[in-house]
Amino acid sequence: MTRVERPLGAAGEESPPAGVERPLLARRLIIVTGKGGTGKTTVAAALACAAARRGLRVLVAETGRDENIPRLLGHRGGPVGHAGVETPAGPRALRLEPYEALAEYLNLRLHVPGAVARLLRQGAFRQLMDAAPGWRELVTLGKVWHLEQAREGDAPRFDLLVVDAPATGHGLTFLDVPRVVVSAIRSGPLRRHARWVETLVRDPERTLLLPVALGEELPARETVELVDRLREQVGVALDRVIVNAVEPAPFPAELSDLDRRLAALPHTPGPKPAVWAACASHLAARHEMNRHYLGEIAARTGLPTVALPLLPGGVRGPDDLATLEPPLLGAEATPAPDAEAARATDAARTPDTGSA
Amino acid sequence: MSAGRTALGAAEVLARHRVVACVGAGGVGKTTLAAALGLGAARRGRRALVLTIDPARRLADALGVGTLGPEPSPIARPLLTQLGVPAEGALFAMMLDMKRTFDELVTRFAPDPASRDRILDNRIYQHVSDALAGSAEYSAMEKVYEMSARPEFDVVVLDTPPSAHALDFLEAPERLIGLLDSRIVQLLLHPAMSAGRLGLRWFQRGAHQAFRLIERITGFGFLEDVSEFLLAFEGMSEGFRRRAESVRQLLFGPETAFVLAAGASPESVAHARDLLGRLEARNAKVCGVVANRVRCWPNGDGAPPRPEERADWLAQLSAAFEQSAPGFEQSAPGFEQSAPGPFPARAAALAALAVLDRYAAAVSRDAEATAPLLAEAAQRGHFVRRIPELPRDVHDLEGLVRIESGLFGADESEDP
Repeated sequence: MTRVERPLGAAGEESPPAGVERPLLARRLIIVTGKGGTGKTTVAAALACAAARRGLRVLVAETGRDENIPRLLGHRGGPVGHAGVETPAGPRALRLEPYEALAEYLNLRLHVPGAVARLLRQGAFRQLMDAAPGWRELVTLGKVWHLEQAREGDAPRFDLLVVDAPATGHGLTFLDVPRVVVSAIRSGPLRRHARWVETLVRDPERTLLLPVALGEELPARETVELVDRLREQVGVALDRVIVNAVEPAPFPAELSDLDRRLAALPHTPGPKPAVWAACASHLAARHEMNRHYLGEIAARTGLPTVALPLLPGGVRGPDDLATLEPPLLGAEATPAPDAEAARATDAARTPDTGSA
Repeated sequence: MSAGRTALGAAEVLARHRVVACVGAGGVGKTTLAAALGLGAARRGRRALVLTIDPARRLADALGVGTLGPEPSPIARPLLTQLGVPAEGALFAMMLDMKRTFDELVTRFAPDPASRDRILDNRIYQHVSDALAGSAEYSAMEKVYEMSARPEFDVVVLDTPPSAHALDFLEAPERLIGLLDSRIVQLLLHPAMSAGRLGLRWFQRGAHQAFRLIERITGFGFLEDVSEFLLAFEGMSEGFRRRAESVRQLLFGPETAFVLAAGASPESVAHARDLLGRLEARNAKVCGVVANRVRCWPNGDGAPPRPEERADWLAQLSAAFEQSAPGFEQSAPGFEQSAPGPFPARAAALAALAVLDRYAAAVSRDAEATAPLLAEAAQRGHFVRRIPELPRDVHDLEGLVRIESGLFGADESEDP
């Protein structure tokens, strides 16, 4: 049931980091989460884009109130909302809207569309639902489950679903709600459905949680805490941490003192030597800081980290996403310290990717 | 071209308000900005309390308040003196533990211990109380209210809770009031409900339908839990209601100022502009807009080569490296080839140009992204600051002081 026919080579081109057995694209559902501002939306879009370029049928879903992924995937035009759109970059993109998902669910259950629509418009019902806890997460995940189950002929409708989950704190609630509902509700169809969703979230064959961090103190710490709590609370599979926006080494190793040399020059064209040197030192310091927290995350979570480079111009569309693809799916990863400590330092410099 | 009122600087904003709330999306550095605002107030002789959600541990350590608790911890006097805080100024920091605060409220407003325990033990409350009517955000605001009433602080600087929707916290008191006043809750709280689900029969048509439907979907347990929760809540609802109203008045009254924090990326700026509009639509008193971690040229001075200058810069730079390379004096003409590892002047020149290009790309991206937000804010009479990105996290006092001087320095300063 969990084995899926894939276009040849779809996962084969991917080189997972050392210590990780399964390529990202061999999953059915990847839930991307992270502290606000870490770029998890970018990562979700890049992943969806990469999978589509390898011939997979991909659905990428946002869960917040903002809608950014369609634009990143080249969609021009208005909001795509819950209905979604086929993007120029390939994946189908949509924004999971709780009330819409609820309406769909109720219609599926009750087969009286008119009544459901009337009900959802009712002030009293909305008021209760606005205040009621947990159902948003549940129907949102329920919709994800439904999409995962969707079939077209004999094949699943989507090979891969990428969900851009709410920011960390909310993300944890998001994933934990099915379990809470199962434990809080005594009987009834909702309990049964929550159980199905919970089973999907916890199935390591199908589902992977992909935390996105930054190489800075707070996001790194929050990521470590998130990983700890996910492990003890939700039991969802984790196999790597994405560290986004890592400043690349600004100059080659043999020129590691370039900033000092710049500062020592009597004259430079354009900016003064001190200014030029300050720019170089700034980039070098950012690079060092990012690498430092990359190491911290790997050491404290025991998970390999995958560094995505900071794109100085920002991430604006499919071309920028394509730039992130090789590091995202390639082997530019630092293995978890215990896995292969000896190679840890070289891993970033000499990616041993088989594809290249 | 600033129309309307003259912008108050950060110092005046802190001097004239009892609460200064730092708002913005997650990850823009609100916590650090809140700490810097607090420090700025203290340096100007005010007694400031910084209420934080998620303190950067190294910064907290640097301030000697490594383990922040739910009570204000003072920053030690010698450290304050070192930071330029005069004797009359003081700085405190405190952690907001939102779950705990809501428990405290329940404890305070419960008419008797039995009701209190019924609430605290209720499964709905236990599992998902944070999701109920934004209770997490509400309790944070409640704490602000409590602290702002304390005579030992002149100003409370609030690092707002991270929430999916950065304004949830502002709306929290109203949502709680709205929930308590809502027809559906009144019906649930009505004594007729004590009889249990049979009471549903007397519901008005809409509510009746809603409940029947919810029961069909959920099984009966869920609704019972909810109504049990609301019944237990009944005795406290008036206390909650009054309190929530006071909290709302504080937030939207003349004593609270908002400082909006934005990051430098286009997405972050778009988010901040949206927030600015929504804050103003709600009549929140926005006083300042800060673009944080903006990459600026060191000393405001720098530019990459124009395309036609490139070859010339490269040649000049290569020559300069060539001449200044250590060992240059020893390597006589004709010997460079054989000398072990001569300094690669041209490679260095290329690398230096690449550094400049990379730096410049970020500078122009950030400038382009932040300009419309800052212009819009200045036009509306808010103070506007661009805080340069620092090479490292703000984890020490020096970093904090740099942010503070960026906030309190001259308007629209390009890193002096």
